Amino acid sequence: MTRYLKLWYRWSVYSAEIALQSRFGALLFVIGKFIRFGLFLFFIVLISHRVQIVGGYTLWQVIFLYATFNFIDTLAQFFLREVYRFRYYVITGEMDYFLVKPVSPLIRFLFGGGDILDFPLLITSIIFLVFSAIQIGPIDSIHLIIFLVLIVNALFIALSFHIIVLVLGILTSEVENTLWLYRDLTAMGRIPIDLYKEPIRWVVTFVIPVGIMMTFPVKAILGKLDLGLILFSITLSLGLFIFSLYSWKFALRRYSSASS
Amino acid sequence: MKKYFRVVKNTWEEILTYRLSFIMWRVRTVVLLLSIYFLWYSVLPKNATLFGYSQSMMLTYILGTSIMLAIVSSTRTYEIGEEINRGNLTNDLLRPINYLLYKFAREVGDKAMNISFSVIELAILFFLLKPPIFLQTDLIFIFFFLISTILAVFVLFFINFLLGLVGFWSPEYWAPRFIFWMIFGFFAGSYFPLDILPETIYNLFHALPFYYLLYFPLKIYLGNVSLPEIYQGIIISLFWLFAFYFLANLVWKRGLRMYTAAGR
Repeated sequence: MTRYLKLWYRWSVYSAEIALQSRFGALLFVIGKFIRFGLFLFFIVLISHRVQIVGGYTLWQVIFLYATFNFIDTLAQFFLREVYRFRYYVITGEMDYFLVKPVSPLIRFLFGGGDILDFPLLITSIIFLVFSAIQIGPIDSIHLIIFLVLIVNALFIALSFHIIVLVLGILTSEVENTLWLYRDLTAMGRIPIDLYKEPIRWVVTFVIPVGIMMTFPVKAILGKLDLGLILFSITLSLGLFIFSLYSWKFALRRYSSASS
Repeated sequence: MKKYFRVVKNTWEEILTYRLSFIMWRVRTVVLLLSIYFLWYSVLPKNATLFGYSQSMMLTYILGTSIMLAIVSSTRTYEIGEEINRGNLTNDLLRPINYLLYKFAREVGDKAMNISFSVIELAILFFLLKPPIFLQTDLIFIFFFLISTILAVFVLFFINFLLGLVGFWSPEYWAPRFIFWMIFGFFAGSYFPLDILPETIYNLFHALPFYYLLYFPLKIYLGNVSLPEIYQGIIISLFWLFAFYFLANLVWKRGLRMYTAAGR
């Protein structure tokens, strides 16, 4: 474990050096992320200000949900950015080099370097999360603990999806579009899933568990989530994680090293 | 002209070659559309109005952005920056073609494919969601809607062309484009009609080109604009069209002087 932590630190340093090679490009990229964050927040505030209650949520609750979405999304990207480079490794055959190294290839392809450009938005999301939580009112410790458990749960789901993207990358050499589709699907969680009509609500809760990832933690902290759904979320997350690991093993056996 | 039609056809066939990639892109577009659609559906009850919009008007606007985005914003100009930086632009410069027309022909091929898919997607969504939709029957509004849409296509093409030309001066040609599209989504009104904004911000937007790319044509379709306002909007769109056309030509000529075909 310590060895992998040291490795992750080293990979992240290299990754940061690459990202900061062009300071101008990096700056524009970070600005772009803030613009996206700020403008959607403005949109939410604009609507909530006029409607008062959006899908049963008050203004600060909607902001808290948006901050939770950004925190989960940005944290997953921060740790799992290397997945975006995976297609290159497959099509060039460079993946072979990682397979012969004494490091788990799955860990290398998932955590091959934290993305420093996500860090400013991550910090901003945390600030918004804390500030909006204070505005919501007193939160008891049990609900706070369940919220944190469900955040970890959401990150596990994100991790499983990224493993499945790697699997599809090996089997079809298609990574980028799958990843962006995943990002867009999770973006449906920027607003409470209660707003979606059936059967879309059911699909985004149980089939593509965006609701479990983004809305359930918020519902838990507001005391709106029953124990059955909490247990179901954790079970689904574990099931998905186990499935993704099996898929990875299956895909590795089919890797042909075609371009090396 | 024949050769440019060939380019349109080739672009269409090129997209069909990478079918999976294109279908994924379209699925993503539908997913984003759905999230905005349901947000408005939920906050705007059937018989109520919000920001001056009835439910049918708002949902027509939001679904209309889908087809408008396919017409106006689908582009191939993102290739320009890479072509310049890899030196591949040399190939196009040596051919007996006008580079700007060549890129526009590729754009038309791309748009044709995106529009076809968008129409099919909307048909499916209409069948599944049965949204209350406003159908414009006044031919005057339909005529000006088409005119403003054509103008928007050209304005955005020249803006996109300019963003590609950043490649002459910097290898970071993708970064300004990234920021531009972040801003475009909101400033052009793809998430909401711009007139729901506070008046001072809305008046400021009036002067920006974004206003005329998505919001203005859709607003004409909905019939919420008076004829003098339409004329004024068309004149401002024409101003932006010529401004970006001349700027694109100027930057192209300056860029060519800098071009060293490095990378080849």
